[in-house]
Amino acid sequence: MLIRTPPPKRPRAAAMETGATGSPPPAAGSDRTLVIYEDPLSATPPPAAGSDRTLVIYEDPPSATPPQLDSSSSHQMLCTYQCRQLVKADFLVALSSAEKEARDCQSSLEAMNEKFSKVEAERKKYLDQFLYTEQELAAAKGREQSLQEQLLKDVTDSQERFRKQIESYSKLEVKLQSEMNLRMKAESSAASAEEDVGILKEKLSHLSESTGRGRRCLESEIEQLKGDSKLSATRISAELERMEFRANNAEKESQLLKEQLEDSQKQFKECLHLKGELEKKLSSFTFQEVTPSPTESHILVKHLQEELRNYEAEVREARKLKSSHENIELLKEKLLEEKGRRERAESELSKLQEIQLSMKKLEDELSFWKLVTKDIPGVSCSEDLPVKFAALQREVIDGTMKVGEVNARLKQLEVALDSAQIDKQKAEAEAALAKEKAEVLKSEVKQIQTMLTMVTDERDNLRNIVNELKKSNSGEAGNQEASGTGTLIQGLESCIEKKECYIKELETSLSVQKEANNCQYEEVKLLNERLNNEAKRIKSLERENDRLRSEISLLESKLGHGDFSAANTKVLRMVNTLAVDNEAKQTIEALRTELQKTKERLQAVEELKSQSGDSGKLVDSYISGKITQLKEQIATLEKREERYKTVFADRISVFRRACCEIFGYKIVMDDQQRPNGIPVTRFTLQSIYAQSDDEKLEFEYESGNTNILANSYSSQREISQQVEIYIRKLNSIPAFTANLTVESFNRRTLS
Amino acid sequence: MASKTASRDIITLRGSAAIVSEFFGYAANSILYNRGVYPEESFVKVKKYGLPMLLTQDEGVKSFIANLTAQLSEWLESGKLQRIVLVIMSKSTNEVLERWNFSIETNSEVVETGVSKEKSDKEIMREIQAIMRQIASSITYLPCLDETCKNKNHFTHQWYYLFTNFSFFFLNYSDFFCFVLGVFDVLAYTDKDVAVPFTWIESDPKLIANPQMVKLHSFDTKIHKVNTLVSYKNDEWDEQ
Repeated sequence: MLIRTPPPKRPRAAAMETGATGSPPPAAGSDRTLVIYEDPLSATPPPAAGSDRTLVIYEDPPSATPPQLDSSSSHQMLCTYQCRQLVKADFLVALSSAEKEARDCQSSLEAMNEKFSKVEAERKKYLDQFLYTEQELAAAKGREQSLQEQLLKDVTDSQERFRKQIESYSKLEVKLQSEMNLRMKAESSAASAEEDVGILKEKLSHLSESTGRGRRCLESEIEQLKGDSKLSATRISAELERMEFRANNAEKESQLLKEQLEDSQKQFKECLHLKGELEKKLSSFTFQEVTPSPTESHILVKHLQEELRNYEAEVREARKLKSSHENIELLKEKLLEEKGRRERAESELSKLQEIQLSMKKLEDELSFWKLVTKDIPGVSCSEDLPVKFAALQREVIDGTMKVGEVNARLKQLEVALDSAQIDKQKAEAEAALAKEKAEVLKSEVKQIQTMLTMVTDERDNLRNIVNELKKSNSGEAGNQEASGTGTLIQGLESCIEKKECYIKELETSLSVQKEANNCQYEEVKLLNERLNNEAKRIKSLERENDRLRSEISLLESKLGHGDFSAANTKVLRMVNTLAVDNEAKQTIEALRTELQKTKERLQAVEELKSQSGDSGKLVDSYISGKITQLKEQIATLEKREERYKTVFADRISVFRRACCEIFGYKIVMDDQQRPNGIPVTRFTLQSIYAQSDDEKLEFEYESGNTNILANSYSSQREISQQVEIYIRKLNSIPAFTANLTVESFNRRTLS
Repeated sequence: MASKTASRDIITLRGSAAIVSEFFGYAANSILYNRGVYPEESFVKVKKYGLPMLLTQDEGVKSFIANLTAQLSEWLESGKLQRIVLVIMSKSTNEVLERWNFSIETNSEVVETGVSKEKSDKEIMREIQAIMRQIASSITYLPCLDETCKNKNHFTHQWYYLFTNFSFFFLNYSDFFCFVLGVFDVLAYTDKDVAVPFTWIESDPKLIANPQMVKLHSFDTKIHKVNTLVSYKNDEWDEQ
């Protein structure tokens, strides 16, 4: 490389003067360098000797002092022939050395040229690299711009999300407030419900106390009833026996009186017959006009008087018989009443037996419950039972409440777990995304840093090279190009510095945005947590609402059922004056009817008594008249009865035939009595389509209930199946009979 | 019975008690008529609450209900009445078939301080009218009382026993009914400290086991709120 600034010239004249004086010429290869100066104005080769241009040979001193050109050039070298020879030799030596030096220079030049080419190539390389870096810088700028745009987008998105979250947060706050209000209301309703529950519990306890008291009362009543029933049973049995005896005696008396009546009637008839004969005789006696003797008339009169007395006596006896007959009738009525009482007593006896059975059952139950109470811990007597039950119920209720609470807590925990897992997954995903982003950014930053380091290294290398070139080529023509490359390098350095600054700014902005994103992320997390908490609160409130509603429905059902707390409430009932009045009215009416009957009887007896004061004729006529009247009434009643019977027979036969033809069954009704004395009606049905006389169904009717009886026909397989379906399951006898008629009709028609 | 001022809307404790006790009287009559506890011909129509209401003419029932409403009014004025229950029982078995439950919520502030409240008479009447209509329509879902479906005429039994010897098949197609088909009773749930009048006695609540319940409308005078509910024994036919 050629250096532009000339190197310092050696003071050759001083050396030549010293040489002229006999100093040896500088040997080739000495430390001093031979500099051939050329006139810079003309770049011609060195002129030959004798021309205007002079050849000046200088020797560069080692101290590299500046050549004194002016002083040496003014001096002309004077040499003699020897000097010329010496100078020639020196010149030749110098030439050779110069040639050598020239060759060296040429080699060095070539080396420099090579270096120059190399440097140029390197410069080109660096230029290419510079352009590459510029492109990369431009790409980095583009990426930065895109990153900035992305960041802006992200920031705007996050801002929008933040706004939305703020809006949702505000809505949630509103919801929170409403939920808080609801919660307050629910708490207040829960408190009121709890109070109601407490009240109900107290009512339950009172109920249980009242049930215990009721039981005690019932037990005492049962005992009283037992005693009363026993007493009444003994009384009734005694009365029954008395009444039986009385009835037997009355029957015997009535039979005797009947016999007496018959005898008296016979006698009465005989008397009447005798009377008639006597009257005839009397009348015949009057027609004969025979004066009978006074003795005979006296005898007749006496006889007649005696007969009259006898008749009077007989009449008295007849009256007595009538009275006795009436007494018999009264006794009969009394008998009937006593029979009725007996039947009632028997029914009451049967009821007594049932009561005794129920008593036994109650006693068995009581003993069983006593045994059970003995088994129950903490219970010594029946009074402790309701308390124990109340305590157990409370425990059960508390247990269920606790179970419900535990279940609710479990559900809450499960919900929290699910939400925590979801949050965890979200956080992990976000963390992975953030890590990826960070790694990407880190990789980019690293790439940029490596680029920067590479660029700075290259810059340093170039600086070093430039310095070396500067040092080696001080006056060469490559100075201008070196200065150009230096400016390029400076520009590159400035660009690189600017890029570094820009990159730093970007990094700072990145970090700031990262911090902002982290803050937003944390805020979002907080909001999500708050959201989850609110959602949990809402769910818990909903559960409480459902529980309270169920409790309210339970309480309403209890209220509807009629439960109450005995501590605060008592149940009063108005004495049912209606029933009492009705019973009193009924008894009054019964007594009135009895009174009327007795009055009528008394009137009849008094009439008879009053009429008995007349003569025997009136009595006889009255009695005969009464008898004829009674006979006529009996005859008319019997005729009416026969008429009704015939009419009913006709109507009922028509009805029976119609029923048979319409429903298809011949029905035969029969009254029977069960062993316990209850009257029962039995119906036997035979279908008109029956193929044999054995195909009969039997039903039993008793006080509104109809039951089918088992017989040979109904126990057949097909019939029993139909009985099972229609009567047992569907409870419909008409459907069964209708189905049976249809089946028997089909069989008849097919056969 | 609201105290009539210029606005006609002020209701006092006494007025509210009178409204509620009167309502119960008419409701009891309506229930006895609609459920057939007493025969139709023993009732007479009157106009009340804007509806034709039926009142019994049986002197016994009349006096019973009158005494009852008087006592209820007294308890309502003292704020001691919690519930009134009209119980319908079977005459033969004495089993409880229906419970008409009128629960009463009393405004304790009014009872203690004697303040009066304001509510339109027309609105109260409208609310009571709705309850009366529901009572009348309750026959559509309440089960038939057994005694109304059976025939217990003494006359037909006489004819029946006359012809048993001839084993005739005879259908009872006469339309005579037994005159008292069921038994009803009224229970009052009062506070524990209430003195028991001499015509009243303590009683068991006459509950129905596993009843069906139907909640009817309620009415509110601002002093007494009356909730109506009917619980009845499940009919065997319905179960089948």
